[in-house]
Amino acid sequence: MGFLAPWFFAGALAVGLPVWLHLLRKHKTTPQPFSSLMFFEKRTQSSIKHRRLRYLVLFTLRTLLVLLIVLAFTKPYVNQRLVPLSRSNQVTVLAIDNSLSMRTGGLLAQAKQAAKSVVSGLHPGERAQVMAFGARVQVMSEVTDDHNTLNAGIDGIEASDARTSFAELSRSLRSIANSLKLPLTVQLYSDMQQTGMPTNFNDLRLNADVKIEPHPMEKKETPNFALENVVAPRRVYDASKKRVLVTVAGFGTKKDIRNVTLVLNGRTIETKSVEVPESSRATVEFNSLDAPYGRNKGEVRIDSADSLPADDVYYFAVERLEPRHALFVHEADNTRGLLYFKAALEASGQSAFEIDPATVEQTTNLNPSKYAFVVLSDVGAIPAGFENELRNYVRGGGAVLISLGHMSVARNKVPVSDGSIEATRYAGREGERFQTAGWLDSSHPSILKDERWEDVKFYQVIRVAPGNARVAAKLADGTPLLIDQQLGGGHVLVFASTFDNLANDFPLHASFVPFVEHTARYLGRMDTGPPSVLVGSFEELRDSQEKGSAVDVVDPKGERALSLEEATKAQNIQFTMAGFYDIRRPNGRNEMVAVNADRQESNLTPASPETLSLWQNTANGTAGDGGQAQQDQKPLSLWWYVMLAVLALAIAESFLGNRHLAVDKEAV
Amino acid sequence: MLQRFLDPATLASISGLDLVAKTVVDGFVSGLHRSPDFGFSQEFAEYRAYVQGDDLRHVDWNVFARTDRCYLKRYRGETNSQLLVLLDTSASMGFGSHQVTKLDYARFVAASLVYMANGQRDAAGLIVFDEDVVNYVAPSTRQGQLFRLLHAIEKAEPGTRTDFVKPFIHFQNFLLHRRGIVIVLSDFYEDPDTIVKTIEPLRYHGNEVILFHVLDPQELKPKFREPVLLVDMENNTQALEVSPEYARNEYRRRIDSHVASMASKARGAGMEYFLMDTSRPLDEGLREYLAVRKGIL
Repeated sequence: MGFLAPWFFAGALAVGLPVWLHLLRKHKTTPQPFSSLMFFEKRTQSSIKHRRLRYLVLFTLRTLLVLLIVLAFTKPYVNQRLVPLSRSNQVTVLAIDNSLSMRTGGLLAQAKQAAKSVVSGLHPGERAQVMAFGARVQVMSEVTDDHNTLNAGIDGIEASDARTSFAELSRSLRSIANSLKLPLTVQLYSDMQQTGMPTNFNDLRLNADVKIEPHPMEKKETPNFALENVVAPRRVYDASKKRVLVTVAGFGTKKDIRNVTLVLNGRTIETKSVEVPESSRATVEFNSLDAPYGRNKGEVRIDSADSLPADDVYYFAVERLEPRHALFVHEADNTRGLLYFKAALEASGQSAFEIDPATVEQTTNLNPSKYAFVVLSDVGAIPAGFENELRNYVRGGGAVLISLGHMSVARNKVPVSDGSIEATRYAGREGERFQTAGWLDSSHPSILKDERWEDVKFYQVIRVAPGNARVAAKLADGTPLLIDQQLGGGHVLVFASTFDNLANDFPLHASFVPFVEHTARYLGRMDTGPPSVLVGSFEELRDSQEKGSAVDVVDPKGERALSLEEATKAQNIQFTMAGFYDIRRPNGRNEMVAVNADRQESNLTPASPETLSLWQNTANGTAGDGGQAQQDQKPLSLWWYVMLAVLALAIAESFLGNRHLAVDKEAV
Repeated sequence: MLQRFLDPATLASISGLDLVAKTVVDGFVSGLHRSPDFGFSQEFAEYRAYVQGDDLRHVDWNVFARTDRCYLKRYRGETNSQLLVLLDTSASMGFGSHQVTKLDYARFVAASLVYMANGQRDAAGLIVFDEDVVNYVAPSTRQGQLFRLLHAIEKAEPGTRTDFVKPFIHFQNFLLHRRGIVIVLSDFYEDPDTIVKTIEPLRYHGNEVILFHVLDPQELKPKFREPVLLVDMENNTQALEVSPEYARNEYRRRIDSHVASMASKARGAGMEYFLMDTSRPLDEGLREYLAVRKGIL
């Protein structure tokens, strides 16, 4: 029992009032002469006693009344034991873990067998439901008392590559309990991986009428080697051998040597041995990845010889592409910008783009649509036809990078974007030797997060009115330095200085290379996704302009993952198994996606019994030593009961007090 | 001082009543009250045949002359009555819950009665008693009798306890030789049988006995706010704690029963009984008494 407002107990001092009234204020009995006591008898004493007794009862009632009112103000409560619902209509839920880790040592088969034994033990009329769970919950049968249906549901459970999520299971159980409005007894068959537990324990909360009985299939930690991660390029553009970095992890393992093999398109490329410390990680580096043109299936394998072979292989996809061309337009007498830009692009390590230089004069007959992007490096007047081509190119989705220098000042407008050039700022002329970048928009794709340009000195900057364009960088005095303007479906990126190391010393700084690299990726719309994704992740199948066109997805088993209807309508697909998915889009953007199981499944350490006990407590308040069920408790306010008692006492006090005072009133 | 008892308003109220006390005893005022005796008067009563030994002076010779038969002519005698007031001055009569104690009230009544009697030329007397005769003023119509009576009434103070038997023996043996009206003013805290038996012999002498039962309202309907310790005024050693409930219920029932018993037994013995509540105006009580007597007669 507790009190929500115990400070109201101070009001108990009010008890002093009835105490003073009844006990302290002594009634003095002064002898009163009367003519004759002829008609009074000794037995009047009994009535005196009765009266005194009634007086004491009245005092007690009044004291209790005061105390109860004080008690009501303190808001008392008791921890009420929740009486569980009658479990006569209970439904038995057979929840079987079919995550990747259940492949260990035939655990899934054992779990299914145990579930079947529960089904056979069900009495006629007892209803049950079968569900499989991993990252998602899959209902395998309806709520029924038909053993054949239940056994068929159990048989239908197949091992998956998904990870375990007990939080998802709890959420589903809460939902089922709410919809059925019947008590549930959940027989949970799982290896009870610790990694399946959510970070927030509240996600495991179950309803009061859900009783969960975990059956851990694995009591101890099983040693397991796994390929935890592989770092490989998603796309390559040349024939050079690429680097693949492999991380091998041991969970509960002793120090051992493992052989790691790099396989490409089924062909073993290289095998290396690595010593994995006890329950730790080791990395292996391959520099022999030589991918042929097209989409390649890469794999890394280890000879773990453990009970979970599913995590001994790691898939990654590598696509060999021809480098894309980018047009670099410059003045014939100024090739410094080309030099620095090309050098920076090549220094980035990815030869995704090949620079095609051209002077202004050479652009007359050029068609920009075949280029990934176009760079106008401090050009003066450009042929009108080419400029129109560029405008059309940008509106059609192309991208142009324009650097402005002293040649650009001759025009009042920025080429293509038609942004007005307001002035040319020469730092030396205005008393300052140079300007620095004062603000960078780190969310812009051209600018790396945490990138700093403070040391870059800008001597000449062309001030351009940004208009509605996005300003990605500003000088210290507020002059826009990098302006990104959307034009139709494409972009025009204006750099208010040059790349020639004259108007600034940006090309000499380390930050120039990532700037050029990211700008090229951004303008060239180069997808930089990872070489592999996890089971359960989603991939977008079509954009808004591709409605109604069919997308073909072939899963790792070589089967179509989508039905015909889904193939024309589905916006995305969720990968449910490890391996390679082949996605064929209508616009020719075919893609191969490598999918790997979540490596949290590789850690087979079971959850502690204390954790499981706590989980059970969230449902039925069991505490754990003997597994004996105890009833849950919740605070029950006693306010109403106290107030009812106050009401009853007040009525009794009124009745008794009225009788007591009736004599007094008559005597007045 | 005497004006204290002779409240003009009270007396005017009494005098204003047509006090025709048609009793068998002598009237309060000569000529108004018929005598139970036949005597010499101008009012014819009846004829009776002569028998030997009758006084020949009463023979109606006119009738004898016409009929040759001797008849005696009888007249109603008119005589003055004798009023004797017996005033109880026991300690209990000193009780009063308001300004006027029972003894005060009884003295008012006694004074009013003797004044009225005096006005009618009746011989009025007074006996003051508690457990014995305390004072005695013999009935008389002499000059100054009224003042003697009022003086005696004035002197009456609460005494000791009441004992009806002892003083009433004196009354019977020595004091009451002549018939008249005897008025007893008391609170009658005694068994009704005892009271009636004690007073009853007065009736044998041909007296008209009237009992005025003087009680305080607190005695009739006691009201206590809380338990009280009551001390008997006639016996200080006797005390009792009384609860308001008892006083309200049981006591009232008993006092009512006592009053009813008194009235019943007194009337059974041929005595008049009047309950006088000291909270009521004095003239009201007397007027009621006189009205009742008039109604009876």
